[in-house]
Amino acid sequence: MIEAKNVIKKYGQVTALDDFTVDIPKGKIGILGPNGAGKSTFVKIALGLIESTSGEITVLGENLDRNSIEIRKKIGYMPEHDCIPNKMTGVEFLIEMGQVSGLDYQTATQRTHEILGHLRMGEEKYRLIEEYSGGMRQKIKLAQGLVHGPELMFLDEPTSGLDPNARQEMLETINGLAEISNTNVLLSTHILQDVETVCDYVIIVNNGKLQIKENVKELIKRQTDTIQIRVGENSKKFLSILEQNNIKRKIEVNDRWIRVPYTNNDSFKEIISAAASANCQLYEMERVAVTMDNIYLEVVN
Amino acid sequence: MKNDAQIAEKFKDFKPSLNNRKNIILGMGMRGFEKLFSLKNKSILFLIGIVYLWTFAFYLLMGEDSYPCNTVSAELQTCTHLNFYGDLQYGGTRIFLVLIAAVASSGLIANDLTDKSIHLYLSRPISRIDYLIARIIPIFLLMLTITLLPNLSVFISQFSRSGLSMDFLNENMWTFSNLILQAIFYSISYSIIGITFSAAINRESLASAGFFGTVYGISLIVELFYQMMLIMEVDNAEFILLLSIIHLLDIISYKIFNVDYFVTIFGDPEIIEYSMILIVSLYIFLFSSLLVSVNYIVSRMEVTK
Repeated sequence: MIEAKNVIKKYGQVTALDDFTVDIPKGKIGILGPNGAGKSTFVKIALGLIESTSGEITVLGENLDRNSIEIRKKIGYMPEHDCIPNKMTGVEFLIEMGQVSGLDYQTATQRTHEILGHLRMGEEKYRLIEEYSGGMRQKIKLAQGLVHGPELMFLDEPTSGLDPNARQEMLETINGLAEISNTNVLLSTHILQDVETVCDYVIIVNNGKLQIKENVKELIKRQTDTIQIRVGENSKKFLSILEQNNIKRKIEVNDRWIRVPYTNNDSFKEIISAAASANCQLYEMERVAVTMDNIYLEVVN
Repeated sequence: MKNDAQIAEKFKDFKPSLNNRKNIILGMGMRGFEKLFSLKNKSILFLIGIVYLWTFAFYLLMGEDSYPCNTVSAELQTCTHLNFYGDLQYGGTRIFLVLIAAVASSGLIANDLTDKSIHLYLSRPISRIDYLIARIIPIFLLMLTITLLPNLSVFISQFSRSGLSMDFLNENMWTFSNLILQAIFYSISYSIIGITFSAAINRESLASAGFFGTVYGISLIVELFYQMMLIMEVDNAEFILLLSIIHLLDIISYKIFNVDYFVTIFGDPEIIEYSMILIVSLYIFLFSSLLVSVNYIVSRMEVTK
């Protein structure tokens, strides 16, 4: 869907994207990263709003440098910040956005009412936007990006500033609308739960570099309950005994610790018995849950 | 339920047939033009009404017999279509034209910048230049409405007075084309100035005050300095007049009608001559600088949210 090759973007001395290379597949994709990681910069470059310092980007099979206007016909964009005019009604604004996207008045009007229907907006759609709540403003922002039937929708922090209920509703709306309208989604956020709720794939970005690109389901599978152990000498023998006992389950090893899957409290007994058999000293043993939060924090830090 | 399912299917299978850029820009421009005539814009409608009443009273009812130009002295000529753009005391509508341009253009970009909807416009299949053209179209068309149409009505009225004579058309062929050129020239100039103030000062009221103050204020200050320099007998004092946009536009307008440009100093008209190259170069430099500045301001908005 989007292919970026060695993209660099510098703002003066600050490097927002540093040799960023990624191949983003179709579907619902999340770009995750802390504030200032380079997510919004990437979205704006992919949208053709700003130019990269160097590198090449292909969006929906078209080269961005040569066909940015054509690409924008197939793209919808929901910016992070509030950017909707207060002095128009929801309907007027969406029709205007539809027409600016290239729809004729009749089609823009029809699409506006269809989308606002899906967003469960009733008579309030005829009220001035300045009278809308935060959740309704977000809905209008989402709707304006979908009004022209784009193939791909960029969502920049769509749940920012929403209360938990409105946030959940927004995520469900995104999911529902993306499914109904067959639209690919690129969701840029720093909230992990948003990605878990909406996306099939996740890309984690930090310091302008790609850190991880993985299927969300695979990532969720990595969420495990483990016992983390630190041992002294004879660790190889200890490991081989553990592996014999846990033959069907994966044991993770690195320089600092060994992680053994936790099944029940007998797991602790098995570890102590393996250490005793291997004549290996146990320094530390604690139960650790590896969640998506941990994975994210590990990558980002 | 069946009805809902059908709507969802239609929604799913939506294959947009999108207009090309040219139509999008034109559409944006025309919608903006229509909005200027909305009843919400009472001040604009009121000023437009005054321009038409003024034209009706001074140029149609009390139209001069000598058309298009009237010889005042051996050297001086005044022309109907030049007087129209002049000061109020000489029967001109300039103050209304500048006021309308200031009020109508102030919100065109300023509103998009204030509510930040400019980001949404620029994410659409149009370029930054397209967006600027689309925003200039409404004010350009409005200015044409209050410059070209009144002048055309004066021309038609004079044609009617001549008894619809073909001789009149043959004699005034150049007047006709010049008045169109002059109206386009003033309209595009005021549109560019308006768009610049709208982009630079992103508050509607301040932008219109800035426009009016700069165009009229500088003109008054420059005239004052010119008079002082004349008293002090400074050489080439007339070049100071080129610092005023109003004078610059008037000078070119007089050139269009091939009439000597004059200013009235202490009640006496004084002819001033400038070289064509200087005037045209100055105009191109000034207005292209304004356009480049607007483009720069808008491009900065794309980067900083």
